[in-house]
Amino acid sequence: MLKNYLKIAWKVLLRRKFFTFISLFGISFTLMVLMVATSLFDHTFGPQIPERDMDKLLFVNMMREEHSEGYSSSGPPSYHFLDRNVRTLQTPEQVSINSMFFQVNSYINNRKLALDIKYTDREFWDILEFEFLEGGPFGQQEVAGASRVAVINENTRNQYFGEGEAVGKTIEVDQVKYKVVGVVKDVPVLRVNSYADVWVPITLRSQDFNKPGFRGLYFATIKAHSPDDVPKIKDEYAAMLQKLEDQHAVKGSKLSSFPDTILEAFARTFLGRGREPGLAILYTILAGLTFLFMLLPAINLVSINISRIMERSSEIGVRKAFGATSSTIIGQFIVENVFLTLLGGILGFALSAAVLKLINDSGVIVYANLGLNLRVFTWGLLLSLIFGLISGVYPAYKMSRLKAVEALKGGSK
Amino acid sequence: MIRHLFKLIWNRKRSNFLLITEIFFCFLVLFAVLSLIVYNVRNYNKPLGFEHENVWLLSMRPDTDSTALNRQTLEQIMQRAKGFQEIESMALTNSNAPFAFSQMNNQLSYGEKMIMANEYLVQDDFDKVMRMQVSHGRWFGQQDNASHHYPIVINRAMQQQLFEGEDPLGKLLHRNDSSNYQVVGVVEHYRPSSEYTAEEPGFFNRIQLPRDEKDFYGELLIKVKPGMGVEFEEKMVKELSGIGKGWTMEVTTLEKMRQNKAKVAKVPMIALTIICVFLILNVALGLFGVLWYNISRRNSEIGLRRAVGAASSQVYRQFIGEVLVLATFGLVLGVAFAIQFPLLQVFEVESTVYLIALGIAIGLIYLLAIGCAFYPSRQAAAIHPAMALHEE
Repeated sequence: MLKNYLKIAWKVLLRRKFFTFISLFGISFTLMVLMVATSLFDHTFGPQIPERDMDKLLFVNMMREEHSEGYSSSGPPSYHFLDRNVRTLQTPEQVSINSMFFQVNSYINNRKLALDIKYTDREFWDILEFEFLEGGPFGQQEVAGASRVAVINENTRNQYFGEGEAVGKTIEVDQVKYKVVGVVKDVPVLRVNSYADVWVPITLRSQDFNKPGFRGLYFATIKAHSPDDVPKIKDEYAAMLQKLEDQHAVKGSKLSSFPDTILEAFARTFLGRGREPGLAILYTILAGLTFLFMLLPAINLVSINISRIMERSSEIGVRKAFGATSSTIIGQFIVENVFLTLLGGILGFALSAAVLKLINDSGVIVYANLGLNLRVFTWGLLLSLIFGLISGVYPAYKMSRLKAVEALKGGSK
Repeated sequence: MIRHLFKLIWNRKRSNFLLITEIFFCFLVLFAVLSLIVYNVRNYNKPLGFEHENVWLLSMRPDTDSTALNRQTLEQIMQRAKGFQEIESMALTNSNAPFAFSQMNNQLSYGEKMIMANEYLVQDDFDKVMRMQVSHGRWFGQQDNASHHYPIVINRAMQQQLFEGEDPLGKLLHRNDSSNYQVVGVVEHYRPSSEYTAEEPGFFNRIQLPRDEKDFYGELLIKVKPGMGVEFEEKMVKELSGIGKGWTMEVTTLEKMRQNKAKVAKVPMIALTIICVFLILNVALGLFGVLWYNISRRNSEIGLRRAVGAASSQVYRQFIGEVLVLATFGLVLGVAFAIQFPLLQVFEVESTVYLIALGIAIGLIYLLAIGCAFYPSRQAAAIHPAMALHEE
């Protein structure tokens, strides 16, 4: 039965090439835009090197202090706070404290390189899985001794040293000389928690360590033993913060800071809903936007489908006269339409692969490495199906209601 | 004729419903994207009020918390920088330097009026560094040292909002309980945040280092002689780093900062335009296909009209006319929606922007409709009556 439907669908597609082209064009471009968006989303929030075990990773990068007089300030937390209160949490497997990235200059052969530098501890390299091209991370000894060593990314290596080995050579950044101990693959700028061009030991900024106060320039990366531990960590963190709030020098001050996944952190800043990250709302907004975007091409496809199906009214008339029920006919047209959208989906994949390559090469997003993977593919497939159903149901329903007699006569008003 | 066309479309409103909705949504999308583009283009064509060529921004981040110590070092650094032959002039500023990503607002009131204005803290030489033109009054300088008011220079936008017709020179504005601002000059334009943002009210407040003992300013605008490149930059940073040991120093040109800002405005605009063009192309093709199909179904009707004496040009005009009427239905709906934006003052954008976008969108939709109907209508006009009637 299904095979028959598909056969008919294929013949119909070949019969009216112009209409087929219009439909496929619409479908494939719509899906392409959606897939590029999905890929961007996945790239920013999904598991990517170096943040691979996303379900076990939590990030602390905001601290908001509200004073009783209505004055409030927010920004990254301080080293003092993270070191004393977050590193000492019991539930996590490991906690890393690292600075946000700062832009600094480096001069070589009368050229200037604007580099982003990040100060990290030893745990940073254990928690995150960087892909080392040569050398390795700096160790506990180098961190403890505040050695001037650096891990650099591939792009910096090529810009500074030219192609070839860099480990063991010296790089001068912001008038300070560092010995290169490792080279890693470029990390895209969208992953703010791990991105940098140059990573150096955090102890080189020890002047920040004893500054009291809650706000500073540091992030914490927390790794849980297992995904089930994540809620426990959040609870422990909240309890710890509550205790600090009670002990706060200024009575009535409020502290808010949360260990979040990347998506939760985004939702929290974007929606600004305080204690609840508002993931559900974010998903609703995204789904709404996707629906709105699909609406116009879907209406277009519906009107084309109606004209196409009208042409086949005599076929429907014959089938009805021989006893086919409305639901069988609806079923057939939906199968045909889904077949068409899946075909468009495949074209869409090809197109989006090309567009993603274009974005990567254009350098709009620094070190972007957008690509199609299984997750994006599944989403694309799902979107194609939804699109096929949306645009197929109404024409099929309209057709199925044709009276056999009228249909046999060749069309309706 | 036109009434007749309206009747024809109205009678088939059910089958034309989808086409009308399509045109309606298409119009809304076009209107939204065009509003954004018109807004940005109009801003882009207005003067910035300053020149940023050969101006560099040196950002300094000290490594200690002691303001007294940092101030000492800062003054040494500035002394040294003044010694460079390659530097023409320089001025300290707050973090909201031209094309920077930060902003600083302050509430000001005059009489009954109260506005939020951007506050730019700058040193006396700022007007020379950025080549500002004061159109009325003067820039602040040494002669203001004796004044117990804080001298400020305001932009035209602020003058219009706060003082309306009055002459602002010499007017006092409340600063805090013990001091006032005094307006000493007016500049025509100042749009530092980006080429694509609208003019906002703003004023320049004077940085007077000896007076503001507790404050530290880490951004230095430097105007260098033309042709200075990385070579001088490296030399300068090396020497200044020698004075500010442990400080982080970062130099960037305002041109580079302008490009970054422009990218932030341009990338979403380009992405939206591409998506919009695709949507419209999609709709155009769909419209074309459906019109073609509809017209080919009305073969016999056309044949009959031709047989009773209608010229082919009349048939042609009828079909083009029908499509235009169809577009009009969609547009009436769309305009009813879109006109709410200027009426309700959504997003606080000038009404002109919306009206221009509305005009262009209507024009484009009609063009699109005619473009799509052109070929099918020609086909219809070419139908031979004998053939059409014979088929029936």
